[in-house]
Amino acid sequence: MNYLNCSIEQLAAQIKEIQDKSTPDKSTPPQEVSRAIIGRCTGVQKEFNVFISLDEDIISREIERLFGDRLPENGQLKLAGAIGVLGDNIATSRYLTTCASRMLYSYRPPFDAGVVARLEDSGAVVAGKTNMDEFGVGCSGENSYFNSIKNPWNKKHTAGSGAAAAVLAGSAHFALASDARGELRQAASYCGVMALKPTYGRISRKGLLDYASSLETMGIAARHIADLAAVLGAVAGQDPDDVTALPSAAPDYLSLLGENGGIRQAAVPSNWQEAPYLEEELKDLFLDQLKKLEGVGVKIHFVDLPHLQYASLAAAIISAVEAFSNLSNYDGVRFGYRGEGKHLQEMYAQTRSEGFSSRLKKFLTFGALVSTAKYYQDYFLRAQKLRTVIAGELEECLQEFGLLLTPTTPFQAPELGAAGGGSARSREELLDPADYYTAAANLAGLPALTFPLHTAGLPYGLQLLGKKEDELTLLKAGLLLEKENPLAWPALVL
Amino acid sequence: MLPEFETVIGLEVHVELLTGTKLFCGCSTAFGAEPNSQVCPLCLGLPGGTLPKLNEKALEYTIKTAMALNCRVAEEITFDRKNYYYADLPKGYQISQYFYPTGRDGYVEIHVDGQTKKIGIHQVHLEEDTGKLLHVGSIISSPFSRVDFNRAGVPLIEIVTEPDIRSPEEARLFLQKLRSILQYIAVSDCKMEEGSMRCDANISIRPAGSKELRTKTELKNMNSFRAVYRGIEYEVERQRSVVLEGGEVIPETRHWDEAEGVTRAMRSKFVSADYRCFPDPNIPPFKPSPEWLEKIRGSIPELPDARYARFIDEYGLPPYDAEVLTASRELSDFYDAALAGYNAPKTVSNWIMSELLRLLNATNTGIEGCKIKPEDLGKLLQMVDNGTISGKIAKGVFEEMFATGEKPEKIIEKKGLTQISDEDELSRIVDAVIAGNPGSVEDFRKGKDRALGFLVGQVMKETRGKANPQLVNKLLKEKLG
Repeated sequence: MNYLNCSIEQLAAQIKEIQDKSTPDKSTPPQEVSRAIIGRCTGVQKEFNVFISLDEDIISREIERLFGDRLPENGQLKLAGAIGVLGDNIATSRYLTTCASRMLYSYRPPFDAGVVARLEDSGAVVAGKTNMDEFGVGCSGENSYFNSIKNPWNKKHTAGSGAAAAVLAGSAHFALASDARGELRQAASYCGVMALKPTYGRISRKGLLDYASSLETMGIAARHIADLAAVLGAVAGQDPDDVTALPSAAPDYLSLLGENGGIRQAAVPSNWQEAPYLEEELKDLFLDQLKKLEGVGVKIHFVDLPHLQYASLAAAIISAVEAFSNLSNYDGVRFGYRGEGKHLQEMYAQTRSEGFSSRLKKFLTFGALVSTAKYYQDYFLRAQKLRTVIAGELEECLQEFGLLLTPTTPFQAPELGAAGGGSARSREELLDPADYYTAAANLAGLPALTFPLHTAGLPYGLQLLGKKEDELTLLKAGLLLEKENPLAWPALVL
Repeated sequence: MLPEFETVIGLEVHVELLTGTKLFCGCSTAFGAEPNSQVCPLCLGLPGGTLPKLNEKALEYTIKTAMALNCRVAEEITFDRKNYYYADLPKGYQISQYFYPTGRDGYVEIHVDGQTKKIGIHQVHLEEDTGKLLHVGSIISSPFSRVDFNRAGVPLIEIVTEPDIRSPEEARLFLQKLRSILQYIAVSDCKMEEGSMRCDANISIRPAGSKELRTKTELKNMNSFRAVYRGIEYEVERQRSVVLEGGEVIPETRHWDEAEGVTRAMRSKFVSADYRCFPDPNIPPFKPSPEWLEKIRGSIPELPDARYARFIDEYGLPPYDAEVLTASRELSDFYDAALAGYNAPKTVSNWIMSELLRLLNATNTGIEGCKIKPEDLGKLLQMVDNGTISGKIAKGVFEEMFATGEKPEKIIEKKGLTQISDEDELSRIVDAVIAGNPGSVEDFRKGKDRALGFLVGQVMKETRGKANPQLVNKLLKEKLG
C-alpha cells in the first residue's frame, strides 16, 4: 500500500480505490490503512525515536471515523485522509503534551490547540506527537527527556526534530512544529524535507506551549510543496482567541499555486558566506541553485544587509528572556512534576532543578540574567533595537526583490553526541550557530521556506524569505525549485 | 528642646474593578464563590493556555479613573510582565503596566481644616490580581496552605500618590475622597472589608522644614479607614521614638496588627526585589481612538468636588452638610431628587443627615438599598407644612416608609394619623384632661409652667399623638387662663 508515501494530492486516488474496493464485498479497507500507518509509525519509532506519543487505538479510531459511512462526504475535504503529526509542545487533549521535558512527562492538557480542530475539520488525522528538544528550544535533537532523535539518512546523526524525521521516514504526510529561531527549518534541512514557517500570526498560537512568544509560530514540514500549500490553507486564518493572530483571512494557497506569475528576481545577502562553520560543500550547492534559478529567468541580486549577521544574537537574547518568563508557571504547584521541599521556596527549587534539563536551565538562567535591571538596557533593550533594525533592512530588501535566498543552516545534521561535532557546539554555546540564517525571519515575523538540497551524504537546505503574508510567492518559488531538483528519500528497512 | 518632625506619606491604593469578568479571560469576578470555581486554563496559568485577551471594559474603567483623577492619559496602552514566584501567582508573572501607566500626573483635592489641599497622583495603572492563600487557623500553625485562584486575574487598578500627605487625618480624608470619586464614576464598589479597596502606606518622617525624603517603611494590612488612620498614627510615633532615641529607621515592610494596635516588621527591604519587567509579548500595544476617549470623558458624571461647590453655592448649604451629602453619589442624587419636589434645601438636608442616615446606620443598609423614594420625602415634608401631620408624627411615618417603602399618604391613611385640628373635638378632650388631672391644674395655677407640658402630653396621649400641638396649647391656656 502506497498510502503514506504519496502526496496529499495523490491521496484522492488512494481513497477512491478504497471506496471502490469497499463497495462490492464490504471488506474492511480502513483497517488496512490503519495497519499500514501503525506499522510504519512503530517501525520508524523503533529506529529513529521520532515519537513521544503514538497510540494505535487512536489511529484506528480516527481512520475508522474518516473512512466509515461518511467517506463520500469526508473524501471531499481538503486534507481528506492526510496523516499529520504534531510537535509535543502543541496542546492535545487526546495525547500527552510533554514538551519533551520531565517537567510535563505526564501532562495532558484539558484543551486542544486551535490547529487540532482545523485539521480534523479538514479531514486530516493526527497520528501522534513528535519528539523534540525540550520545550522546543534549539534543534540538537539531543535535549529531550525521551532521548535523542536519529536521522533516517544516517542514524549516527541528529534529525533535529521528530517532526521532520517523521515526514522524511513516511510516518506522516505532514508535521506541525514550532519555530522560534529556526528549529523547524533547521530540522527539515537536516532531514532533507521542506518546511514553511509562515508569517507571525498567520497560524493561531492558541494552545502552543511556546517558549518565545514574540518570535515563535507553528510551521509545517512536508515532502511536497503542494502539500505545504494544502496544509497551510487548512490551518491558517484568523482567531479571536489569539490577539497576535493576523486579522486578514488566509487565501486558498493550493488553488493559487498553479496560477501564473513567475518569479523574476531574488536577492542574496552579499556576505552570505561569512557564517561561522559554513561548510564548503554547501557553498557550491548554494551557488549551483542560484545558477539554476538564473537559468529559468530569475535574476539574482547581491544586496548588503549589514545587520543580518546579528540576527541570531538578538534572537538568543530575546527568546531567553521570554522563555525564562513563559516557563515561570512550572513551579510544581498546579500541574506537572513536583519536587520535594520542606517549604515553598525549596519545593520550587527542587521542582525546577529536577524537572528541567541542565541545558534548558542554562538558557533560562541567561534569560533571567539579561532581564535584570542591571543588564536590561545593555542586552535586552539592545537586542530589541537590533530586531527593529534587522526587520527594517529585510522589509526594504523584500519590498524591492520579493525574495531573499540563503542557506538554511551552515552545516549538515551534526553527529549525535560527538565531541567537537556540530551538536556539541550547539549544546555548549548559548549562541547557537545553527540559527545564523534562520533567526532573522522570526525577528521580523516574515515567512520563510526551506527547500531540500540533496547530496550523496546528508542533505542541506536552501532558505527563502518572503514579504509579510506573502507565503504564496515562497510556495511558487518552491514549486520552481521542485521542478529543477530531484527529490530523494532514504531506503528504509523497517 | 525636642526637634519638630514632619510626616511624609505616600499611598498605594489597589481597587478591584466592577467589570464582571477577569482582565484577560471570561471568568467571573464575583466575590465569595466556592474556591477555584471561577477559573480557566488562562487564569490557572496552564501550559499552552496563556494567550491573554484584554477586557476592554477594564481598560475603559482605568481611563475613566485616570480622567476623573485629573491625569494625563497615555497615548498608547501597553502591558508588561512583572516576574516573581509565589504560590498565589499562577503564571509566575503578573501582567501590569510597569513602563507606561494609563494615567500620570493627576491630583485629588481634599478639605483639611477649612482649606483645600491638592494631593498629587503619581500614576494610575491597570494590572491583574493574584490568587489567595488560605490557611487552617493561623498562618503559623497551619500545616499546609491552600490556594484559591478565583481572584487570580481580577482586574485591579493601582493608584499611587505623590508623597504629599502629611498626617493620618489627611490620609483618611484622601482615601475617603478617592472612594467617593471611584463610586461616582461607578468603576469599583471600594469595599475595604471585602478587599475590593486595599491601601498600603509609605511612611517617613523628617525634620520640619527639610525637603529631602528620608528612609521610609511600607505599612500593609490596613483593612478599614480607621485602620489606615491608626496604623499610620502608630507608625509615625514609632519612627519618632526610634529617631529621638538616636536610632535609625530601617527600610522594611511592616504589618498593622489591628487587635494589638501595633505595627510589626515583616521583611527587610535592604535588597529590593528585581522583577525583571519587560513588555508582554502576547499583548500588542493598543492606541485608544480619540472618539473612544471622548466617549469615556463624556460618561464621567458631576464629581464630588463640583457637587460640593454646587450644594454650597446654589442651595446655600453649610460646608459640613455639603461634605456629608456629597460623600456618596447615591446620597447626593437622593438629596437632589428630594429637593426637586420640595425646595427647602436645609430642611431636606436635616432630614437626610439626621433621620435617614441614622436609620441607614442602624440597619446597616447602604443608600442604594434604601426603600424610600426621594420624592416621597418631599411629599412627607409638604404634609407637615400644610398641617396634615405633626413633625413628630412625620418621624414615625418616615420610619415606616423606611421599613416598607410605602408612600407617606398611604401610611397616614392606613394608620389614621391625620392631625386633629378640629377645635370642637380637641376642646372636649382638653376639658376631659383638665377634669381628670386636678393636681396638675392646681400646680399650673400656682405658676409651675412644667405642669402645662404634662397636660399637653395627656392630650397627646388621648389622641395618640394626632392632636395639633399649637391648638392644644392655645386651648389649655384659654381654659386654665
